[in-house]
Amino acid sequence: MMHSDVLLLQARDGDRHAQGKLMQVWYKRIYNFSYKFFYDHDLAMEVSQRTFIQMHRNIAFLQDGARFRSWLYTIAVNCCREELRKRKSARAVSLHDLNPGEAEDSYSWESSAARHENPERMYRQNELAELLHECLLQLSVEQREVVIMKEYEGLKFREIAEALNVSENTVKSRMYYGLEALKRLLERKKITKESLGYEL
Amino acid sequence: MNYKPDEATWTAYLYGELADAERRQVEKYLQQHPEEQKRVDEWSFTRSALGTLTDKEVIAPSIVLGETPAISWWKERYVRMSLGIAASVVMVLIAARLLGLSVTATDGELRIAFGNTKPTPALTRDEVRDMINGNNQVLQASWSEERQAVEASLQENLRKNSGKLDNLMKTASLANQDQVKLFVSQMQESNLKLMKDYLRLSSAGQKEYVETLLVDFSKYLQEQRRQDIQMIQARVNQVEQHTDKFKLETEEILTSLISNNNPNGAKHN
Repeated sequence: MMHSDVLLLQARDGDRHAQGKLMQVWYKRIYNFSYKFFYDHDLAMEVSQRTFIQMHRNIAFLQDGARFRSWLYTIAVNCCREELRKRKSARAVSLHDLNPGEAEDSYSWESSAARHENPERMYRQNELAELLHECLLQLSVEQREVVIMKEYEGLKFREIAEALNVSENTVKSRMYYGLEALKRLLERKKITKESLGYEL
Repeated sequence: MNYKPDEATWTAYLYGELADAERRQVEKYLQQHPEEQKRVDEWSFTRSALGTLTDKEVIAPSIVLGETPAISWWKERYVRMSLGIAASVVMVLIAARLLGLSVTATDGELRIAFGNTKPTPALTRDEVRDMINGNNQVLQASWSEERQAVEASLQENLRKNSGKLDNLMKTASLANQDQVKLFVSQMQESNLKLMKDYLRLSSAGQKEYVETLLVDFSKYLQEQRRQDIQMIQARVNQVEQHTDKFKLETEEILTSLISNNNPNGAKHN
């Protein structure tokens, strides 16, 4: 996803319309990043909104427009970590956790193409998605951040390093161990090439 | 070739973020090490499994964004810090004014005072020395008196304690003499009794032992005698047998001689 440099310049100059447009462009990405991080719709919405509020407040201080993407993910990661700290201290249970996918605003009904597909195939895909989410949740926070940013958000290792404020080698190392851990988790959950071939 | 890709290299290779030269090096390494190719395949499978997880569709909610806060010059960090320092200085000055703070430094002397103060006349060196000497004399006298009192008290206490100690020692020694005598006499009696018992038991034992010894010796002698008699008897029997045998042989010889020396005996008869 590419953002318009002009849009970014206007947003930095305080143009609220441009900032709103920027949010529309990036909302899905930040939401999905947060959703995969927490596997919780409400938390993902909360983190996404806070990320864009932070973006609005601080975008004037962004020096290098080319680093907008990593900068935005830095805010998102910080919001996720903050939310994680809150959850650890509060030990609250989201209602979405108790009955995921059936909330009014779960958007599962909006998976437009899937509605017309084979029900068994849909069921298996949902089951696989749930298993993969569980695997991601079992990674350490550091590994999960890197894996999601690389695998789903398509950031370069350099961009992830900038976003997390660590070295590129550290990012690669976390990715390596994250993949190793995922490999073991998939084996434990019996997700094989055969079962996956059926889904593809 | 000792080349072996590290974790970072593997990851970069897997995501196609290696430079050409390094990528070729890794590919060559994989050709030489087929078992590593298996690991790469496993990672690729893990990635393809992760790839099945698709994005969720979401509609961005309308977030009311306020005006971009314009940063005023007085909100700049350094301005706020300077203003803070200035305000602190002013507060200190006002407080000093209200409390009548007076700070003076004369002839190496720093004087901090609050309110109206009257300068105290300074003492001369002789006056200070006299004051110190007077104070020392008073202290010396007081110390001497206290020392004498303490010494007297110590002497008195020592005298009393030594008297008590002597009495206690005498009492203890008297008691000890009686106890020792009693103990020695009891010990003598018990020793005597012990010796008597010992001797009595010892003599009886010796007597019994000697008797047993004599009986045993007598039995030994009798046995020895019996064996000697048997042996003599056997010898005598042997001699008798020899004698009989000799006698018989002698008779046979004589008979034979007689038969040989008288061949006409039959003719004569």
